[in-house]
Amino acid sequence: MSEQRQLLSDSAARLFQSNAGWEEVDALGIADILVAEERGGSGADWDDACALLQAAGHAHTALPLAEGMIARKLVAEAALEVPRAPLSIAANPKGTLARAAGAWRFNGVLAGVPWGRDVARVVTAIAFDGRPHVVVLAVTDARLHKRTNLADEPRDDLRFDSAPALAAPASSREVQRLLDYAALARTAQIAGALQSALELSIGYALARKQFGRPIGQFQAVQQQLALFGAETAAATCASRSAAIAASVGDASFEIAAAKLRANQAIGLATATAHQVHGAIGFTREYALRQATQRLWSWRSEYGNDRYWSERLGRAVVERGADTFWADLARG
Amino acid sequence: MQAFKFDPVSLPPDAAAFRKEIREFLARELPNVPAERRANCWAVFDADFSRKLGARGWIGMVWPKRYGGHERSALERYVLLEELLAAGAPVGAHWIADRQSGPNLLRYGTEQQREKYLPGMARGEILCCIGMSEPGAGSDLAAVRTRAEKLPDGRWRINGQKIWTSNARQSQLMIALVRTSAVDDKNRHAGLSQFLLELNTPGIRIQPIVDLVGHPGFNEVFFDDVVVGPECLLGAEGEGWRQVTSELSLERSGPERYLSSFALFLELVRLAARVDSEALRHAVGRLTAELWTLRHMSLSVAGQLAAGEDPMLAAAIVKDLGNTFEQSLPTLVQSLIGEDIRLEDDSDLARTLALLLQTSPSFSLRGGTREILRGIVARGLGLR
Repeated sequence: MSEQRQLLSDSAARLFQSNAGWEEVDALGIADILVAEERGGSGADWDDACALLQAAGHAHTALPLAEGMIARKLVAEAALEVPRAPLSIAANPKGTLARAAGAWRFNGVLAGVPWGRDVARVVTAIAFDGRPHVVVLAVTDARLHKRTNLADEPRDDLRFDSAPALAAPASSREVQRLLDYAALARTAQIAGALQSALELSIGYALARKQFGRPIGQFQAVQQQLALFGAETAAATCASRSAAIAASVGDASFEIAAAKLRANQAIGLATATAHQVHGAIGFTREYALRQATQRLWSWRSEYGNDRYWSERLGRAVVERGADTFWADLARG
Repeated sequence: MQAFKFDPVSLPPDAAAFRKEIREFLARELPNVPAERRANCWAVFDADFSRKLGARGWIGMVWPKRYGGHERSALERYVLLEELLAAGAPVGAHWIADRQSGPNLLRYGTEQQREKYLPGMARGEILCCIGMSEPGAGSDLAAVRTRAEKLPDGRWRINGQKIWTSNARQSQLMIALVRTSAVDDKNRHAGLSQFLLELNTPGIRIQPIVDLVGHPGFNEVFFDDVVVGPECLLGAEGEGWRQVTSELSLERSGPERYLSSFALFLELVRLAARVDSEALRHAVGRLTAELWTLRHMSLSVAGQLAAGEDPMLAAAIVKDLGNTFEQSLPTLVQSLIGEDIRLEDDSDLARTLALLLQTSPSFSLRGGTREILRGIVARGLGLR
């Protein structure tokens, strides 16, 4: 990471820790980080973007950052004119895009849109005439069904009845496989939240005394936390490796592996975090739930274990055992 | 917070060409090796194959040329190791010399010791074994009781016993950790030293131990009044603990710590290609994610070692997660196969599964038990 980007990452992390709102975060240029420089963005790569998202996950930042970054990148690529306002994405649109008299219309449902109620527009990708198109829809044109994930983050359903849309063709990997890149972003947030849960657990184990000494001095507790640490390291390394792969080329294999590995870390990590914390971890007030409730939700969002293990498993089996190692060790 | 350091590594630009060279060599030298012999292949002893690798310049390839090495980079060596292991090459004969005995000599040996042994190791002719464990010293390595006493003429007299020594009968050299002064209860790590022992020295007796599948890979090595010259001391007297722990970082970080069951994974992929089963596909998907992650973690540790760091903590994590993965595979495969496949079948899948079911419990014992590794990680987390 260049010095300039390290500065951005550090100031972003400070901002996230201070619970800044969208205006302050957006003023730093974070939402435009993936937008090319000639279109007014930072021209950063996925590795840089994921570093910010990991910091946001660590700080339990309740903003549509991942979605905003991707939305702005898509809008810029398709050269669509969208007023500056918070944006979100729909990674799994169900419906049809139509064109009549030069005007685009969308008929269908965007389910589970992060912060749907709070943003002005939702960006998605839909094929039209065999070509992927970036599609922008105004939330005010939707019938909005408010829903939230386990961490109280909005995940709203939006229904559009032949609503007016902006649309234009684009061909980047992010447009062609929007879900994959949303999963990549979520994986970075998962890595951050796992680290936060680990830190809280270690801090608690060192502070909480039973039988006359901190519970972290008991070997049984130490061994559990060591494995929690190892799982956190694995998810973090997977997230980073996929982000680097996405920065240089086609990363569908790496993203599948990373989201799946991060999902798998969540089980042991959340169980251990709560086991170490005991009853206090189950209170509304204590911070641990900010990490664990997000992790439980994020494990399902943008592809759960079943989805990614089917995709990855099918791809590997179709390629066959004889090419497996060569595919894995491409570098 | 960055709890642990796993910075990504870029392999050198010529790595792809080197991989191709290795794969062509292996395709030529190792046709039709049955799958169960490809499993856990760094424990498979084949002195002829080791000499072929040596002739190729692929043992001690990072060592200085004046000691028979080839001055290649540490990451090139990593590429070689992972290619050998993924292909299931029988690399057990020279593995210890290449991985730790040679590097240990380079770090602590005298000029005379290096010249005497390193060129033979690099040719695959001098094979080494590890002299750490004893009947009363396993995880608690500082409890070794084999003793070397200094004679008035400067020579050393060694008495005691090592155990669980892989390949001792076929090796020429052992680096043994022994006690050179009495135990100090306040500092148990003091008073230990390392010795380079030629195993044909009078007074050394080696006896095989047959393991649970009937393979005589382990040995007991007895030392009865073994007298050696002062030139057999490796490094400084009393510095054995520091030397042996740096040896352990090398021992714990490599790709062998997650690839021991890789041959069985490939059999699982073949089965999933024959039988249309969601359960098999999903297992392949999950295991692929784990393999891919472990490879990046292991590679990152290799990069840290190449940069001259001592990534003890990261190495412990890779070994712990890697061993857990290697051990989970046989049980998982056994749970997924159909009734038409039996453990006693004469097929690649069944023979590999049967072997690994029985031998994989040892993967989290050799080179440091899971419990010891997690203790190291807990210390790194600030809990100890």
